[in-house]
Amino acid sequence: MADAKKFNRRELISKGLSLGLVAGGAVILGKPDFLLAKEKPAGIPDLVAVKNGEPDAMFKKAIELMGGMNQFVKKGQTVVVKPNIGFPRVPEVGATTNPLLIKTIIESCYAAGAKRVYVFDNVVTTTSSNARNCYKLSGIEDAAKTARGIVVPIDDFSFRRVKIPGGKTLKTADVPGLVLDCDVFINAPVLKHHSSAHLSIAMKNLMGIVKNRMEYHLTGLDQCIADFCLYRKPDLNVVDAYRVLMSRGPSGPVDPKSANVQLKKTLLISKDIVAIDAAAARIFGKEPEDIGYIKIAHAQKTGNMILKELKIVTYAM
Amino acid sequence: MTLIKIRKVISGILLILFVLLFLGTEKLSVALSGILLPFQLAPALAHTITQPESIFIAGVIFIVVMTLIFGRVYCSFLCPLGTLQDLLIAGSRRVNRQAKHSFSQPLNGLRYTLLALTVLSLFIGSLSLVNLLDPYSVTGRIFTTFFQPLLIQTYNLVIFVLKFFNIFLYPKQATFIPLSILTVMAVITLLIVYLALKHGRLYCNAICPVGTLLGLISRLSIYQFTLNQKACSECVRCENVCKAKCIDPQNASIDMSRCVVCFDCLDACSQATISYQRRKGRPHDSWSPSRRGFVIGSIAAVAGLVTFSSNIRTFPGTRFALAHAPVTPPGSVAIQRYTKACTACSLCVSVCPTQVLTPALMDFGLSGLMQPKMNYEKSYCDYECNICSKVCPTGAITPLALDEKKLTQIGEAKLLEDICVVYVDHNNCGACGEVCPTHAIRFTNKKNILYPEIDQQYCIGCGACQLACPTSPRSIVVHTNPIHKRAEKYVSPETTVEQKKPPDQDFPF
Repeated sequence: MADAKKFNRRELISKGLSLGLVAGGAVILGKPDFLLAKEKPAGIPDLVAVKNGEPDAMFKKAIELMGGMNQFVKKGQTVVVKPNIGFPRVPEVGATTNPLLIKTIIESCYAAGAKRVYVFDNVVTTTSSNARNCYKLSGIEDAAKTARGIVVPIDDFSFRRVKIPGGKTLKTADVPGLVLDCDVFINAPVLKHHSSAHLSIAMKNLMGIVKNRMEYHLTGLDQCIADFCLYRKPDLNVVDAYRVLMSRGPSGPVDPKSANVQLKKTLLISKDIVAIDAAAARIFGKEPEDIGYIKIAHAQKTGNMILKELKIVTYAM
Repeated sequence: MTLIKIRKVISGILLILFVLLFLGTEKLSVALSGILLPFQLAPALAHTITQPESIFIAGVIFIVVMTLIFGRVYCSFLCPLGTLQDLLIAGSRRVNRQAKHSFSQPLNGLRYTLLALTVLSLFIGSLSLVNLLDPYSVTGRIFTTFFQPLLIQTYNLVIFVLKFFNIFLYPKQATFIPLSILTVMAVITLLIVYLALKHGRLYCNAICPVGTLLGLISRLSIYQFTLNQKACSECVRCENVCKAKCIDPQNASIDMSRCVVCFDCLDACSQATISYQRRKGRPHDSWSPSRRGFVIGSIAAVAGLVTFSSNIRTFPGTRFALAHAPVTPPGSVAIQRYTKACTACSLCVSVCPTQVLTPALMDFGLSGLMQPKMNYEKSYCDYECNICSKVCPTGAITPLALDEKKLTQIGEAKLLEDICVVYVDHNNCGACGEVCPTHAIRFTNKKNILYPEIDQQYCIGCGACQLACPTSPRSIVVHTNPIHKRAEKYVSPETTVEQKKPPDQDFPF
């Protein structure tokens, strides 16, 4: 009894504090933001975080708080959704984006009037090989198809070479024509541990669209990950932190029973790829400035990793 | 139904099954290999010698008994290369109706020498001649080298076109065949095609060791073709259709050691002077110096080798090749064992879903030509797959349950810290660790840079790290285990903690 009371009190305090913070932040930041960014309608936050719900419900709430899908997808546009399907793993391992979330994003795009919604990933071919295995096992192929998403396996002919303006290490990248030609690009990564980049979130997920990713490894992973974002930032980032793989990432073990997964039931959305990575790092339990590519991308002015400078809306279900 | 029709139907069905075995889906290949391959002489013999199993012993006995009763029916019914040659011969007949076969003397010197050399080389531990000449293995390599890449490229072309209609299908990866193998196979194939078109079944009667061996048995067969000289009008129709060129109407003799029992002559003979029936009395023995030489020589060789066979396995180059031996597939247990059983049919190459198995012309020295190796510069061995061990007909790759395979160490990865980018440039890379399926590669965090390290006890030598490594030459390379070992199973120290606490409402920002 006493414990429950204590808990409630703590909850109350923290809730009050966070509410106060949000309110305070809105007051402090809302106005200058409004004055500076004229095309942005008032009240649209930089980042929305939702927790304690199922992936579909959390996305619906988050996009509503972000001003609705119509902010991002207009009638007749083609959309590309890029989940993380890099490894042949079942969703319970937490190595791939939640299939229900992908389905909900596609449905929401079509509801906003999208003409076509494509889903693809350029899978890591050295683990149980092909796209077929990855797409099937992750549950994303089936989920996307029920929502009329067009699931695309990438082959060698799909890529076109682009220049990275201002890229320090990464000067060119081979990107699928699909991404180059689409109207709206939605980045839908999963938050997970990564053995060589500490964490894999939104920026790291974009490494999964280029063909020359071995160049990243060879010339410096962190700098290249940050450099690619100079080329094209996604129109919207949706980070799935429902099941978070806490170790042995990015692939995780085959057997979900031996996967070190925490059920964090959290979802983040933002236009700012650096901010969303910073927020996701916090959710994982790491500081953004300890993650090489976040720090570099912040310094290259791709986005803002200093969370207290941002207008963040949180919602606990 | 005439005997010819029966032969055509049976051999036709079997050829289609062979095509499906090599070009069909994984499940089909596994099922068909169990049905078809115990009845191919070379693999069944290899399997019986290296890994005696009832079905393969039964296969060998079946072939010998059938030959003893009916003659070389094997060559016209079971042998896929025989049927392929028959198709070519039939095609050439259709194009050029004037083309006729005529009796020719047997090339005894050539065929018995080749058979003797094949047997001899087997006893000193080399399968090279079997690899080169065995008809089943040659057929397998023709399918894998030429037809499969062709089929896959055509399929991919269709997929490529469909993309413009907004239909997206998964492309397939073609098997990697080195130029050396392509060249050797092109020569062998052209030779077979040429011989078939010009000289009928001359490959089977002058080169093929299986044909020659069965020819020795079929001399004694119970059913034989005989020519009734009294009734014969010497119209030579039978001679003209005999693709084995073994009917001599002038002397009213039919050479049963070369007859492939195709029954074409029965159909051609209008007066029914040729008959296929139980032989009466002893087989008439025509004295042949090379045959006698072969029989005596091989008995002497076998006796000699059995006595001294302790350690004659040092062919020119073999010792060097074994010192730098490639990695052999899981289930092959040891390189020496593997090279002594594999007839290089390339079935494993054609079914391998990651195309890591590549036929290697001379990588095993002269102990085996064109036997497949694990080609880690092109691909890696899929952790979740053991299909090669399910289809191998020779016992070179023994069946290995998937759980066993996951702990079978076929080689060990070694990290070269002097060229690894993380150690040299102090930049994060970690490509090797991302793909390691057994968690043998771990990372040590020094100033937020993650340095890879290998824990050998968990490494199974699958080659994923080597393929993923971005440096050139690779900084992580798998070294073969001449005798396969057992790896430890990695048990993660952290497992999922059941979260009993109620969901909180906090955000860390």
